[in-house]
Amino acid sequence: MADLESLIAAKIPGPRTGIEIRKSICTICDPTTQCGLDCYVKDGRIIKVEGSLEHPQNRGTLCAKGAAQRQWVYHKDRLLHPAKRVGPRGSGQMVPISWEEALSTIANNLVRLRDSYGPESIVFYCGYPKHPRPFLKRLAHQFGSPNFCTESSTCFTAMAMAWQLAFGDMAGPDLPRTKCLMIWTGNPAHARPLAARGIKEARDKGVILIVVDPRLSPTAALADLHLKLRPGTDGALALAMAHVIIEEGLYDLEFVARWTRGFEEFRAYAAQFSPPTAEGITGVPASLIAEAARLYATTKPAALMTSAAPVVQNTNGLQNQRAAVCLVALTGNFDVPGGNVVAPSAWLEVSGAGFITREHEFAQSRPWSDMAPRIGAERFPVWTELFDQAQSMALTRQLETDSPYPLRGLVAFGMNHRMWPEPSRLLRAMEKLEFIVDVDLFATDTSRYADIVLPASSSVERSELRAYPQKYVVFTQPAIPPLGDSRPDIDIIFSLAAQLGLDDPLLNPSESPYRSAVDSSCTETRPDGAPDCISAYEAALDWILAPSGLTIDELKKHPGGMFVPNPLPVEFRKYEKQGFGTPSGKAEFVSSVLEKYADRPGHDPLPVYREPALSPVSAPEEAARYPFILGTGTRLPMFIHSRTFRLSWTRCLRPAPAADLHPDDAARLGIASGDLIEISTSLGAIQVKANITSMACPGVVHMFHDYPEADVNSLISADYLDPVSGFPGYKALLCQVRKVSQA
Amino acid sequence: MGEIGTTTSYVIQHDTESCIGCYACVVACMDQNDVEIEESPALWRQVYTLESKVGPQWRIQYFSLACLHCADAPCLLACPTGAINKSLTTGAVVVQSELCIGCRSCSMACPFGVPRFGKTGTMQKCHLCHVRVESGLQPACVRVCPTGALRFGNPNQLGFETGQRRASQLVEAANSANKAGSTAGI
Repeated sequence: MADLESLIAAKIPGPRTGIEIRKSICTICDPTTQCGLDCYVKDGRIIKVEGSLEHPQNRGTLCAKGAAQRQWVYHKDRLLHPAKRVGPRGSGQMVPISWEEALSTIANNLVRLRDSYGPESIVFYCGYPKHPRPFLKRLAHQFGSPNFCTESSTCFTAMAMAWQLAFGDMAGPDLPRTKCLMIWTGNPAHARPLAARGIKEARDKGVILIVVDPRLSPTAALADLHLKLRPGTDGALALAMAHVIIEEGLYDLEFVARWTRGFEEFRAYAAQFSPPTAEGITGVPASLIAEAARLYATTKPAALMTSAAPVVQNTNGLQNQRAAVCLVALTGNFDVPGGNVVAPSAWLEVSGAGFITREHEFAQSRPWSDMAPRIGAERFPVWTELFDQAQSMALTRQLETDSPYPLRGLVAFGMNHRMWPEPSRLLRAMEKLEFIVDVDLFATDTSRYADIVLPASSSVERSELRAYPQKYVVFTQPAIPPLGDSRPDIDIIFSLAAQLGLDDPLLNPSESPYRSAVDSSCTETRPDGAPDCISAYEAALDWILAPSGLTIDELKKHPGGMFVPNPLPVEFRKYEKQGFGTPSGKAEFVSSVLEKYADRPGHDPLPVYREPALSPVSAPEEAARYPFILGTGTRLPMFIHSRTFRLSWTRCLRPAPAADLHPDDAARLGIASGDLIEISTSLGAIQVKANITSMACPGVVHMFHDYPEADVNSLISADYLDPVSGFPGYKALLCQVRKVSQA
Repeated sequence: MGEIGTTTSYVIQHDTESCIGCYACVVACMDQNDVEIEESPALWRQVYTLESKVGPQWRIQYFSLACLHCADAPCLLACPTGAINKSLTTGAVVVQSELCIGCRSCSMACPFGVPRFGKTGTMQKCHLCHVRVESGLQPACVRVCPTGALRFGNPNQLGFETGQRRASQLVEAANSANKAGSTAGI
């Protein structure tokens, strides 16, 4: 047996070494992951992390980002003290201040702006992670502002919108029971590695896999059929598949006759998209389109896996996504075992966790009619109707024009201005803001523009509630105390509510007439003397959890999480009892909601296919100067937006900003891996390294986003948006590529 | 697996068919071993991307490689100070950095390019997480792998398990063919 020194060096947990395992979760990425984390703690410091074996989400595994947790938590750039700006905006010149001064400055400014311009003049924004969102939204509305917005202005919601317009509800693929899985579009291998195993296992069991993706991703490589289409042409492909399914009589006649609206119009429109026509548009061979259509339609049951970004981040993305989900209606695979199943939403965008909560009532604490119209309400009425947030892609123009009313304050949790296309235009427009607060873990480019910067704590330093589709739930406990003077985001929100004197028994219990019943406050203190809002937070969570039968007290007994006792049973074909959640009560090929706005560009009630606004077909003159398709934001396994650029363990895996180019294009242009290339659009140019890989789509340049030194979003116009969803067309525009110098 | 205390050799085996090129193994190793990479990345485990063409069809495969803990390790033979030894309990080839003079003979001898050199110039490399193994735990890379592409154990046992999986795939394929009316054998 090894000596004690070797055991400690090898980080063996146990009483001998004094290394204790404390449970937490990772929130470095936040689309429904939150892997269970075992933190190896010695002398109050995390010395290693591992995936929690018992956690059904990740079953002991992690991704490259989660495995780099220690570099995330202990990075030298961690903000440790509140600070106020002393130099010009953007200079990053800040001096540390106390929490008391920070909170009172914020409250005084917010109240001043409310008195001068109205509460709607304050924008409340939440990036990652997502757990503060219901609390920040409640804070915003209690303050009187309707303008709560998040990165969901560019991700996920448009996909959900396509489902809601068609069926009234999102419906996820029932992977364990399906016989045919069509992934349109996604690469779980790099975006959610914990899901990759499930797909491989399904494949090994004989489940047919169809993948629609311009790239030869590891997920596409597993597929029986890989439909490698030109970016942004998904609508034409879907309509061609519908064409085959209808022409060959492969659709579910009964479901279509009894439960759908607008089939005849849809049939007539799809008739225009024969497989050869679609081949001309998409580049996918006609025979492959037909084969995929037949397989999906005749394999029972079949499921469609849609995802948050690749299809909907196009200027015609919403309609393209609608066309794809229409195939579920056509084949009757809605709310059936092995098809796409509707499950009630539990908490923070996770559905099917086996319980329901009062999250919506908690967050939507005031009706919209009580407040001014949201940012983006006029430009994106359908998105505004379907989602309980403001569409932040309209922020730039509202700041520039002060129309319909001025915006003068910003309270941001984890904001990255590079998320917006034409980021420098947003920064210029933000000069109109009289007061900016930014909360973050690290000093970022965006926090340099804030007047007050507040230090947040990471997931291992705080408590949060999370739900999982495996019918699992966790209320985490801090594995280590907050670093420096950093505080959990939730604490900051509660402290702000108290400082603002909001009359809200859930966010500001000290003001509550129900105080004796609630018995919580922010007057407890942590060991370092800072106020501790944990009991107020727990009381609010208990309020939210009331319909579930779960309590925080019970959850605290299981810091690594627990399976939901008595999970809500899964019911299928709910539509037979209650219809669909659409205005017509049916699944809609022709959308009732879009009919209301049919005179607006792009708001066709049918899922009309249009080319991306900048494509070789729609803009041939532009394409003559900019012959490549530029696609941005495709996931790399070691990065999630800008979050892990500063971690050397992940950064070393792809050290320089680089764009993926296909070998055929590289050969034609004489470019080798490592060469410096310039990517340009009519808005500007960036210089990056070339990474030659057959994963790239021929004719496409794939550039990862958010590099301050090579910001690809600076090449995209702020108005390059889907007219219905407001989503930027990140995935397809036009660019030129030229070699600058050899590696 | 063999019992601790006998001369057993363990290996970490990589299945390229299951590997999705996510790099979790690379980072988990860095986390376990506090690998420093600020100046010159000295990754103990590396994932290589291999792209090839089969007719018109491109194929991308990933290979995760660290030390192979050879039964007859060239690095061990090449080392002039005896800094490299084979663990009797796990078969791991382990370097004692306090005996290493940084001559790089091991690096020249290793056919797989495994030895790495950090700030101090002494050799560092994968040690099979042999202390973890002796404590009944898996190597960090194996433990983290989302798809189970990395497996750990006795090479004969791992070989047997691979054969078993392939045998069942072959038989299932034959069963489907026979059900479909074909008279083809395996």
